[in-house]
Amino acid sequence: MLNRKAITASMLSAVLLLSACSKGNNDAGTDSASQPAGNASAPAGKKVELRMSWWGSDERHERTQKAIELFEQKNPGITITGEYSGFDGYMDKLNTQIAAGNAPDLIQMGGNIKEYVDKNALLDLKPYVGGILNLDDFNEGLVKSATFNDKLYGVTLGVSSSSLLYNASMFEKAGVALPTDQWTYEDFKSSAIEIAAKLGKGHYGSYDLSSDVATLASYLGGVGKELYRDGDRRFEKQDIVGWFAIWDELRKAGAIVPADVQVANPPTAVDKSLLVNGQVAIQGASASQIFGFQELTQDRLALALFPNGPAGSGMVQPISGQYLTAYEGTEHPEEVAKFINFFVNDPEAGVILGSTRGVPPSGKIRDTLAAQSTPVDKVLYDYISLVSDTAPPVVYQQFPLDNEFTKLLQVTSEKIAFKAKSIDSAVDEFMTEVDKLLLKAKAQ
Amino acid sequence: MQKYKTYAAGYLFLLPWLIGFVFLYLSPIIASLYLSFTKYDLLTAPKWIGLDNYKAMFTDDYRLGDSIKVTFKYVLLSVPFRLAFALGLAMLLNQGMKFLGLYRTIYYIPSLLGGSVAISVLWKQVFDKEGIFNQAIGFFGIEGPNWIADPRYAIYSLIGLSVWQFGSVMIIFLAGLKQIPQELYEAATVDGAGIFRKFARITMPLLTPVIFFNLTITLIQSFQTFTKAFIISGGSGGPINSTLLYSLYLYIKGFTFLDMGYASAMAWLLLIIVAAVTGVMFLTSRYWVYYSDGRD
Repeated sequence: MLNRKAITASMLSAVLLLSACSKGNNDAGTDSASQPAGNASAPAGKKVELRMSWWGSDERHERTQKAIELFEQKNPGITITGEYSGFDGYMDKLNTQIAAGNAPDLIQMGGNIKEYVDKNALLDLKPYVGGILNLDDFNEGLVKSATFNDKLYGVTLGVSSSSLLYNASMFEKAGVALPTDQWTYEDFKSSAIEIAAKLGKGHYGSYDLSSDVATLASYLGGVGKELYRDGDRRFEKQDIVGWFAIWDELRKAGAIVPADVQVANPPTAVDKSLLVNGQVAIQGASASQIFGFQELTQDRLALALFPNGPAGSGMVQPISGQYLTAYEGTEHPEEVAKFINFFVNDPEAGVILGSTRGVPPSGKIRDTLAAQSTPVDKVLYDYISLVSDTAPPVVYQQFPLDNEFTKLLQVTSEKIAFKAKSIDSAVDEFMTEVDKLLLKAKAQ
Repeated sequence: MQKYKTYAAGYLFLLPWLIGFVFLYLSPIIASLYLSFTKYDLLTAPKWIGLDNYKAMFTDDYRLGDSIKVTFKYVLLSVPFRLAFALGLAMLLNQGMKFLGLYRTIYYIPSLLGGSVAISVLWKQVFDKEGIFNQAIGFFGIEGPNWIADPRYAIYSLIGLSVWQFGSVMIIFLAGLKQIPQELYEAATVDGAGIFRKFARITMPLLTPVIFFNLTITLIQSFQTFTKAFIISGGSGGPINSTLLYSLYLYIKGFTFLDMGYASAMAWLLLIIVAAVTGVMFLTSRYWVYYSDGRD
């Protein structure tokens, strides 16, 4: 029979296990990180094994894998293992790998590159420039954007811009005029309402973009404010109330995706977005994502600028959307530099990769691609040059603690959309938290 | 000498566990205690900041309050349901049926998967707006909500999933039921007791040590739930923090926001909460747990 002693002993060991697990939980993300860290001690001339991580859609995975295979053919003795996934969780996993000292040799990095530079996680590529790494065909701005303290920490893989990705076939089906370069929030609202009304139940003019940081930043630009500059926010409570009021109006009109549907089908996941199956006409996206989306639908997709505000366009100049960076702890920096050079300069690789990460940074590759561009390539190229012509010549500054800010905007937006809070009190809370984040960022 | 040898052999057999315990459990526990007093972003060296993390938890983090509320709601609902379900099944399986071993296995194996990623993904499909569950209730003319994407219901889909992890609890109940002497039931039958009376007067009292054991273990497990919430909410704990279980928030703090010092402090707060709850269980146990070895 179970007696008290046996029970007590089992309980005690259970409590011990718990305390162990409360740390153990932290390791949940590291399972996949504990792959062998390459063949570290290979002497020169022997086999070199590298790892490369990136995020993206299936379309990008296939192209990248093919480019890697081509590199391996041309460089016998070097093998590269791809570690790829969607964007969700990509940074979490990378953080874990860096903390554990076994990050991939080659890392695709986004706009948050500086954060990793500050934490000494990335390798200075400057010593290889002019030798193994040729950046002659790059315009100066692109090299500069990855240069910090006179050191080069990454190579731009493509130029992109935030955008409104829209389903042009749905506009046509509803008989609604396509977005123009000059459209305003009034135009945006009436288009969305009309599309939803004409196409009927289950169809919406737009996703609820109130939680999208890029769209909010452009809206603030349009009303003569900014999200952030030099340590401070450059907007007031009223601006944010105005922002949520737009989306509230559209929500009440049934023109945007209801909150629960949006949570279940987030626009950020290509395979779940309702844009590709013709249910939602507009969503936010980085312009280069159009390839991944277009591949999944027969409908014609296109790119539009964010609507203008009373102060004009709040667009941001095209940016280096992604960089290829090297892990500070790599055992084979030369091979890594060699691959980076191949990835951005080799004409064959250029053709394989296309514009899946945005407009290629090398002039020569762009020329090669222009000769055989697809209609989607053209949409992207035209859009990027439109953005450079439209966007005011201001250098955009990202809100610090980007992850936390994004999450805060998301939760605020959900509170309003699910009617858990009024706009006014949700925005009050938002402002308080924003100021806390700013204080925290200053303290770092 | 002989005695020494016996001990040595014992420790030798213990060694694999001991090594695992020291390196995989004990040292991380000590490290997390140290880290909880530091500011540590995973990428650069930790910096000592004393009690700041603990102060911030109590004064400056409304999301932690949300998270604790959600976690308690989850624990308070999922634990009783899981225990009741497991006990019910154990009693069914204890009816002296044929092929008991087979049934036991059939029920046990799927429930082992209840905490896994694959089942969480499946669950997400089942309780989707157009999922099987809504289709099923659709036959009766009920239009179901989007269970996992609506902040009012999301936590209940997690609770439902947790009931599915009844397996090991059920096995222990079954063992407990088998320990109850048959003569007691026979005597009660002779005295004219019905099923319910036998359950209330014989089964339940004699089973209290096992219930106590299962209750405590399940409570501890439930406080640490992570996988379900992570998969079903896509790692966000949303919508509106409605599935932000404690361990998930701890993960987000540590790995997404890179506040590993703070996350470590949270782990210790969780330990204290669980220790307190377990302590209360032990203290009250003397009033409701009956040990038939006659020492009470």
